[in-house]
Amino acid sequence: MKKITNRAVSLLLIAALIIVGLVAYTLRYLDDGKDWALAFARQNSGSSGTMTERNGLLLAAFDPSGTRYAEDAAVRTACYAVTGDFLGRSGTGALSRLWQELYGFSPLTGTTHASDNELRLTVDALLCRTAYEALGGRKGAVMLMDYRSGEVLCMVSSPAVDPLFEGEPPEGAYLNRCLSSSFTPGSVFKLVTAAAAIETVPDMDSRSFYCEGDVEIAGVKITCSGEHDTQSFEESMANSCNVAFAQIAIKVGQENMIDYARAYGFLDGHELDGIPSAAGKYPLDFIGDPELAWSGIGQSTDLVNPYAMLRFVAAVANGGVLAEPHLIAGRSGPYTRLVKENTAERLGAMMHYNVVSHYDGANAFPGLSLCAKTGTAELGDGSSHAWFVGYLLDGQHPYAFVVLVENGGGGLYAAGPVANTLLQAAVNK
Amino acid sequence: MDELLLNSLSVSKGVLILTSVLILARCLRSLLSERYEAEVWAWLQLGKDKLPVTHWENLLGRSRGADIRVDRDRVSRVHAVLLRGRRGVWTVYDVFSKGGVWVNGAKIGPDGAEVKNGDVINLGGTPLRFTDLTAEKQRQLEKKRTVAGKRVSPLLTLLMLSVFQLFLLLQHMLTGGEYLTQIALAFAALVALEWFCFSSMRLLGRSGFEVETIAFYLSTLGMSVAASSVPGDLYKQILLSVAGVALFLLMGWWLRSLRRITALRGFAAVAALGLLAVNVVFSEEVLGARNWLSLGSWSFQPSEFVKVLYLYVGASTLDRLYRRRNLFVFMAFSAVCVIALALIGDFGTALVFFVCFLVISFLRSGSIATVLLAVTGAGMAGVLAASVKPHIAQRFASWGHAWADIYGPGGYQQARAMSAAAAGGLFGKGAGAGWLKDIVAADTDMVFAVVCEEQGLIVALCMVLAVLALAFFAVRSARYGRSAWYAIAACGAMAMLLTQTALNVFGAMDLLPFTGVTFPFVSRGGSSLLSCWMLMAFLKGSDTRKDASFVVSPVRLPEERGAKA
Repeated sequence: MKKITNRAVSLLLIAALIIVGLVAYTLRYLDDGKDWALAFARQNSGSSGTMTERNGLLLAAFDPSGTRYAEDAAVRTACYAVTGDFLGRSGTGALSRLWQELYGFSPLTGTTHASDNELRLTVDALLCRTAYEALGGRKGAVMLMDYRSGEVLCMVSSPAVDPLFEGEPPEGAYLNRCLSSSFTPGSVFKLVTAAAAIETVPDMDSRSFYCEGDVEIAGVKITCSGEHDTQSFEESMANSCNVAFAQIAIKVGQENMIDYARAYGFLDGHELDGIPSAAGKYPLDFIGDPELAWSGIGQSTDLVNPYAMLRFVAAVANGGVLAEPHLIAGRSGPYTRLVKENTAERLGAMMHYNVVSHYDGANAFPGLSLCAKTGTAELGDGSSHAWFVGYLLDGQHPYAFVVLVENGGGGLYAAGPVANTLLQAAVNK
Repeated sequence: MDELLLNSLSVSKGVLILTSVLILARCLRSLLSERYEAEVWAWLQLGKDKLPVTHWENLLGRSRGADIRVDRDRVSRVHAVLLRGRRGVWTVYDVFSKGGVWVNGAKIGPDGAEVKNGDVINLGGTPLRFTDLTAEKQRQLEKKRTVAGKRVSPLLTLLMLSVFQLFLLLQHMLTGGEYLTQIALAFAALVALEWFCFSSMRLLGRSGFEVETIAFYLSTLGMSVAASSVPGDLYKQILLSVAGVALFLLMGWWLRSLRRITALRGFAAVAALGLLAVNVVFSEEVLGARNWLSLGSWSFQPSEFVKVLYLYVGASTLDRLYRRRNLFVFMAFSAVCVIALALIGDFGTALVFFVCFLVISFLRSGSIATVLLAVTGAGMAGVLAASVKPHIAQRFASWGHAWADIYGPGGYQQARAMSAAAAGGLFGKGAGAGWLKDIVAADTDMVFAVVCEEQGLIVALCMVLAVLALAFFAVRSARYGRSAWYAIAACGAMAMLLTQTALNVFGAMDLLPFTGVTFPFVSRGGSSLLSCWMLMAFLKGSDTRKDASFVVSPVRLPEERGAKA
């Protein structure tokens, strides 16, 4: 008997496997339960919910009888980057990513029943429409946020599609360029090079840079947009002088450039209330001086994600402290220091000088106390991305923004007016 | 009003979780922490030592695993088997020992020799004096043993189960629709059934009720799932529960006599093969498997009854094991069963049988080599089967990728099961308040998910642990079984139920391929419910705690029997 019954322990092996399985399931549940639960929650819970923008305008709604979107087709289209659709065609849309806020899923309680539940977003639908219309059908991305609170007021990607539209959408309509794409930055990247120089190169302020239209570095010619003669650091930024910044980048050195690009968040992906954004790029392998010069000017193989640029500019605007951006109303923080305070102030002053002295601020941006930087990123095929990034020095309207027009031409001429239209609308609300 | 409803729902959820955990904990504590004291049937005097004979079947030898260890020269590791047969007659058999066996100086032949009080059994030169216990002595010993249920009162546990059932019914009332009468009646019937069972056991002087409590606990969850998913079908479910309990009692009574059991083993084998043959020839295909047989308006799954017969045949007494040392007949029988199930297309059940076969053959032979050989063979057969039957191959291909095919056959059920289960959180949505119940096969293949959704993860885990508790019990009590047959049958039964549980739960949750076997007692299905109750009778057969199990007959001695006659 004993001989046989001792072997009964083999049953415990099966029991142990079951316990391992239960633990595995429970861990998976804690990890992925949210995604599982929400996959069929809307269709099956018999619940209802609405998603509204900051002023209470309806963006999308569902109840057991069906789904609805904003009434105005222009709003629907302009807000597509924010909302996505009920079919989940946009992977980054709030309708795909943020429903858990309506259900309040937690592994403890499972889904909580949503009825007359409202998810209010921080975006302003009319501002989105204004920005979308200002892009005028060109490909591009526009974001605007309150750098004090972190609220994202505008997130637009063009071209977009009306979620009710059936048929073949324009190419890239389901892509949110603000979050999911990275672009050659061109001169807006000089902000990063400048910040790195302020902190790593001694006596930046006493240095001057001579530009005669181009400069040869180790046998490679770096061309500039003009002949800027002898200029201070501040002037070189306002002139967006390639010759000066080529030298500055070399002075900073590749290792420092990499460190600063990483520290400022340009190399990694980020999240916007859990919606992931794309990472950027800066050459990490040894490239030598000429290529280093180009990378400091925002060319070479540099890529910048518009949302990452917005985070950097918003931090500079806020004395170097980033108020974490949010899309869901009522949230704030965390606040993290991204840029040293002195550096942020110095950079801000330079950006303000840019606008006042070189961007015809009084006429091009009437009534706005603007700090900004242009970018014209040459793509090698003769076309260029137009960038315009910056913020308002305005306690009532603490807005930071990024405007990108793909293949739009010159930064100031293509992206500047879009920024002006957006900012005027935001300030005059 | 709405607030009241929500509050009542929350309170009932709390009560259900609390009672679930308590019932499980009490049953576990009772099954595992009770004192298991061996019954003593006789003594063997070895030199100065008096060795108790604690089973009906005892292995004598030098081996550490022998029941009566005789560590002397010229005693083989496995030397002899001492059996208590009909009417308390003891027989000793030589099991291929080197030194031979003598009783009172006469060498015994292949048919063994009877041993009476005072006889001397000689194992290769080592004498053992045999003392049969007098009725008086045995009664004294029996008095010293602890009565089952002394530490953890089964009455209180059953009361908790009744509270659990009451609040579950309350939840159905709060969320329910048009079938409230049926649901109330179904729960009332279940409560009546368990209390009837309990009082009859008490009348018989039996106090071990853990196994039944767990079976009724699981049946209650099954009833709740049925009430959510097919409330119109509840009357059938009640009838089946009654029939299940009746079969449990009948089977238990039958198993009291080892003589009865052995007399019918051949018949059981023929019946098992016959049922499978009928199934292979006449059956309808439902969802890819032809495992249903219709008799008029009732349809049943023959394979469920074959499970019971298979265990009945597969378990063996110790003397048979040691006198014919091979597994060939059993292996051939198992192979026929598994192949027949594969032909029917019921791969899940085939796998359940196969694991049960492994456990039984390991118990019988102790040979890991045999087990590995069988696993390899089955693995190759499985690959062959998958290449012949496309829907099996497809299930393997989609295993682990349920979310990649949520509208197709690869993940439709699993993805919904996981989603609904997660939606329930730890505390559940309340009985009848989920949505998974309306998906096809929710009440059979996805019951774990339905329970997760409606009662929450804690109760669902309790449900699985309840089955594990039965397995722990089988392992523990097997050691004290009177005959190897009871021990093997109990462990084999639990091997089946554990495998079913694993395949059912992890199949629905995409941790194993989806095979569509039932969760014991919980999945809806008449044949499955009946077979589960019958398997419980096997489990009760191994429980030799004092006055615990109705399957184990009370100690009655030759003298008493003689006096009665």
